[in-house]
Amino acid sequence: PAAGPGAGAGMKQVGAAGAAGGGRLARAVRADGLPPQALVDDTEDVSLDFGSEEELALRKARIRHPLATFFHLFFRVSAIVTYLFCDWFSNSFVACFVTILLLLSFDFWSVKNVTGRLLVGLRWWNQIDEDGKSHWVFEAKRVPTVSASTEAEARIFWLGLIICPVIWTMFLFSTLFSLKLKWLALVIAGISLQTANLYGYIHCKLGGQKNINRVTSRLFGTADVPMRQNRRISQDGTEEHGKTGTR
Amino acid sequence: FPGLADVSIPQDIPVEGEITVPVGSHSPDEDYSTLDEPVKDTIMRDLKAVGKKFVHVMYPRKSSALLRDWDLWGPLVLCVSLALMLQGGSADSKDDGGPQFAEVFVLIWFGAVVITLNSKLLGGTISFFQSLCVLGYCVMPLTVAMLVCRLVLLASTGTVSFIIRLIVVGAMFGWSTLASTAFLADSQPPNRKALVVYPIFLFYFVISWMILTFTPQ
Repeated sequence: PAAGPGAGAGMKQVGAAGAAGGGRLARAVRADGLPPQALVDDTEDVSLDFGSEEELALRKARIRHPLATFFHLFFRVSAIVTYLFCDWFSNSFVACFVTILLLLSFDFWSVKNVTGRLLVGLRWWNQIDEDGKSHWVFEAKRVPTVSASTEAEARIFWLGLIICPVIWTMFLFSTLFSLKLKWLALVIAGISLQTANLYGYIHCKLGGQKNINRVTSRLFGTADVPMRQNRRISQDGTEEHGKTGTR
Repeated sequence: FPGLADVSIPQDIPVEGEITVPVGSHSPDEDYSTLDEPVKDTIMRDLKAVGKKFVHVMYPRKSSALLRDWDLWGPLVLCVSLALMLQGGSADSKDDGGPQFAEVFVLIWFGAVVITLNSKLLGGTISFFQSLCVLGYCVMPLTVAMLVCRLVLLASTGTVSFIIRLIVVGAMFGWSTLASTAFLADSQPPNRKALVVYPIFLFYFVISWMILTFTPQ
């Protein structure tokens, strides 16, 4: 299947491993005399003929998961908007409380389970093994596929993830200082849910980057060995971009 | 590996290996199955897990499903519905017959957190969120009792209705406490079981008291 960009991505990881392990090595020329640079220009979107038209359009689009992007922002922003304007919507404290709480819960679930893995390829959860010990597992997608995320999506994801807890913290202080303490429970719930997602995803992202230099992807384990060795030598450590935004 | 320094590998034998990542180490097949599954699968899986737990509360057997796959959706729904019923659904006025909505909410969650801290400090092996999950799901019989009480109060408010409500609430209280201790007491050493069961007893007792003394406007 996708030998070109797939092999290129594998090459980036392998090359980084070589550079990290052995220090900076001079660029060597391949055994058949081609300059190594020819193998490296895979970071642009190369139009390859074996993809269908839909795949090509998908690859070129700036936002590949419009629905996920919409829902990522929808629940958070509507929770904030409802909190700010609850007096306009309804007189009842209970209705506002329940609505905002449900919006915050749906936001927590959708960001944790859906938009994280669709937009940036990260996921985190808690697992309890046979002994009853709990482990927190942080997962990062290593191999970008056709429907992997773009930079615009990743930017929207992280901005939405970071700005909303900040806004809820401001609400916390405004609640404390204006002594509207009946909203305190809701604001604290909002802060904890959104900060939990933020912390989980930052942990995923940092954990993935620390280990990326030591990972050899199994998908490329059967590639031709001589070419792999040469690619490792010729790859410079600085060429490992996070341009796909999946890291 | 100094002994391998002069080993030469022939060019046509593929050499492959794998370095497992300590964080999040799954095989790539498992990665794809959870990272790339369609959204509907995720929703259905979580809904089924919640439904299974409700069934487990109704028939409390010694099963590990409630403990292993914890989630807090059930406790959230139960807590909100209980607080709504206790609040009476009227607007935020000071002359309510029942406690304020936020008070019930905070009482349930704060009480559950305190019980969890207590059992952890006593050396329990259960994790924080598992304990919250169990305590939250075991509020279900009391929510049913609240529903029954409201229906009975619609009919009449005399002594007979009070006796009916007392019996119903008492039975559900016993059921809640037994269900939660069936899951939680096992994680404690034997001479400390009473120390763990007592706060749970108190927690459900307070909730039952609120239910029993609820009088509508």
